[in-house]
Amino acid sequence: MIASKLKEAILSLRPGRVTLKYPFEPHDPEGDFRGYPELDTDKCIGCGGCAAVCPARLIMIQDIDQNTRRLVRLLERCIFCGRCADVCPEDAITMTKRFELSTDSGREDMVAECEVFMATCQRCTRCYEPPTPLDRIMEPGFRDDEIKRGGQDSPYEPVKSE
Amino acid sequence: MFKELCQKSFPKSLWVYHCNVGACNGCDIEVIDVLTPYYDAERFGIKLVASPRHADVLLVCGPVTRQVVPALKRLYDAVPDPKLVIAIGSCAVGGGIWFDSYNIVGGADTILPVDYYIPGCPPRPEAILHGIAVALGLAEKEIESVHLKQLPDRPESVPVEVEGS
Amino acid sequence: MNAQQLGENVKQKFGAKVIDFETLGSDQLYVTISPDSLVEVAEYLYRNEGCRYVINGGTDRRQQRDAFLITHFFAQDEEKIYVAIHTEVEPDNPQVDSITPVVPAANWSERETYDMIGVVPVGHPDPRRLVLADDWPEDLFPLRYDVEHGVKPPPVEGLAPERLEPPEGASVVPIGPYFPVLEEPAYFRVFVEGETVVGADYRGFYCGICGYVHSCSYCQAVERAAGIEVPERAEYIRTIMLELERLESHMLWLGIAGHIIGFDTVLMQTWRMREPLMWLCERISGNRKTYGMNLVGGVRRDIKPEMYDDVRNVIDKIGEEWAELAGAIPGDTTLITRLQGTGILTTETARELGAAGPTARGSGLAIDVRVDHPYAAYDRLEVTKCVHDSCDNLARVLVRIEETLDSIKIIHQALDEMPDGPIMAEIDEELPAGRQAMSAVEAPRGEVFHWVLTGTENRPERWRVRAPTYANLQNVPPMLEGNALADVPISIGSYDPCFSCTERMEVVDVNSGQVRVYTEEEFRAEYDQPRDE
Repeated sequence: MIASKLKEAILSLRPGRVTLKYPFEPHDPEGDFRGYPELDTDKCIGCGGCAAVCPARLIMIQDIDQNTRRLVRLLERCIFCGRCADVCPEDAITMTKRFELSTDSGREDMVAECEVFMATCQRCTRCYEPPTPLDRIMEPGFRDDEIKRGGQDSPYEPVKSE
Repeated sequence: MFKELCQKSFPKSLWVYHCNVGACNGCDIEVIDVLTPYYDAERFGIKLVASPRHADVLLVCGPVTRQVVPALKRLYDAVPDPKLVIAIGSCAVGGGIWFDSYNIVGGADTILPVDYYIPGCPPRPEAILHGIAVALGLAEKEIESVHLKQLPDRPESVPVEVEGS
Repeated sequence: MNAQQLGENVKQKFGAKVIDFETLGSDQLYVTISPDSLVEVAEYLYRNEGCRYVINGGTDRRQQRDAFLITHFFAQDEEKIYVAIHTEVEPDNPQVDSITPVVPAANWSERETYDMIGVVPVGHPDPRRLVLADDWPEDLFPLRYDVEHGVKPPPVEGLAPERLEPPEGASVVPIGPYFPVLEEPAYFRVFVEGETVVGADYRGFYCGICGYVHSCSYCQAVERAAGIEVPERAEYIRTIMLELERLESHMLWLGIAGHIIGFDTVLMQTWRMREPLMWLCERISGNRKTYGMNLVGGVRRDIKPEMYDDVRNVIDKIGEEWAELAGAIPGDTTLITRLQGTGILTTETARELGAAGPTARGSGLAIDVRVDHPYAAYDRLEVTKCVHDSCDNLARVLVRIEETLDSIKIIHQALDEMPDGPIMAEIDEELPAGRQAMSAVEAPRGEVFHWVLTGTENRPERWRVRAPTYANLQNVPPMLEGNALADVPISIGSYDPCFSCTERMEVVDVNSGQVRVYTEEEFRAEYDQPRDE
């Protein structure tokens, strides 16, 4: 009994104080951490491949006029899997090391949108020939007009804040 | 203003009731991890309590399932005022990958007024500590919404309408 | 014996009642039988062929075959075979014979199949609702294809679930809404006489936290169905990640177990030892817990040769400390008195109710998917089955402690033998539709089982998952009987009950709703008085 307790005490005491100083000192992730996915607008060609593979279906693509395509990313429900960065043909998406994403002003802070200039083909006014990743967006579940926010169609009454 | 009020109301230690409303356990484990030696949230007076009646803060993990909605409302009522609600993890923040499943109602703010959001899948313990630090006024939030354009001088366009926002 | 021979045995025994059988390799057998012979065939497999029950699933195949497909899955561990028994049920009269009277382990999954696709198990001893919310409409079955994805019926207030009545003279102690020490939703009603437990009713539903095992199992099933060859290096990487996850999970569990019996030092110290492992996983995969490395065809990230030493250092350090801890536990009377002789789950009950993983091995059942049905690189590695036969909480603790040390050895061996090469198979075309395959992985908590029926457009038509805790929690009521009330938390905790996994990334199936956890009764039970007076 006593021998066991002694062993346990030694085991517990040996490492000494291990507590990290975070948040007063930074403790950044090592390796290829998958944090906030940043989109480089200059590289994005608006192909929509990221929207097609996103498991959380948080990327909405709208063509707002002849030359402009808008990508709205509702990163509030992003699971940081990094598939968008994997499939991007232009490497426009990078998984950064940013992980301090807490906010006190609502989930709007996690919305990222970008407008991409789409040069159209002079002859046919289309950008690509089918089938392109864009056509895949038209598959059920990936249609841009269907993207919803979590809780949007909840049948329950929320609790009101006093 | 509300934020200042919160910080004034909770000058010292926050007692936390942790409730899982359908989470996969990833976030729950990170919440416990925050209390273990390497992160030791008790430095900030954070203490997990076993009853919502003793709590100042409700930590919500997971997407809200249909079955927990009545329970969650009662739980919220049971926490004495003033109270804070913190949503931890992508599921509690926005419904996660389950947001449109038949059995999921949505993120925590579908049912409760949420004060702080900590996204991540699961958030690192450091991210949770950062969230607590933001709540305690020790740190500032480091994120805001992003609006980028390839052609900055394009004439004014219609603002984006995200349904349900 | 292989799958072909087992199929012929069944065919010979039941003749025309067996409509057809097919095999996939030498280890997977799919038998289609007529509905009236379901109970006989299940009983034959269970009693005569030594099969263990796995799970039951229902598929809506009205579009393809004008029928509901009901499937029961069995495992024959000695012969390394998985068996699926398909029965087609007419949609006009959706009824099928229940096999629970002859195979008790089928209890929950038959109830769940009714909830999800509405095929009534006739003769089921306890046909209460299992998985759907209390205010879910009676006639809406979410896994039927004519029910819209994400349907949200309006709420109904004030409905309570049906509960079992306690035996006469016993009082009810509710444990829940949130399992008090783990803060996880689960609701047990424990029936007590004095301080001794005489019975229990349980409703809840768990899955593993094991983020890697499910994605691995799913990918293996799809690869098997589509005939994709996974590169050898990818198999080794999967093995290493699976073992790292087992290490992480067992360490976590021992800490929680210590916390449950009020010995918080164990919690703090094991989690301290575990933290470098979490950082290691973050370096390898980019996330501490949801590794996100599996894809159909291989893995997304490589473990680079310069990382090998890093891995070895971390696990060796853990191994040293863990061995010391393992040496200290048998002499620690605090732990021994709480663990020894409590929470007895006999070998017979464990087999009857289909226990899995360390729970089964702590009850003397030598089953381990890594050895019985090898997958990934396990057929090339030395894996020891850690079995204890004292059937109590202590046995389950010892099994996990030994497995942790064994895992470290496996990782070393895998690192030594890992070949160079690609980590992803090239997949050019669309995966074929209408193929099926089963796949199992030994999660830290027991056997994870996936069955996939492929559909068009690279999507699964049906995907059935069984998490180990699903099987293990059905063993809770018999185990609690005869225990003191104070031993209930650690006994439940000794199964390592856990939530659904965090990682089902590539597919958002209607199925996903199945792994949710249901918690309502809890507050009703605890705060039953109306609050607005």
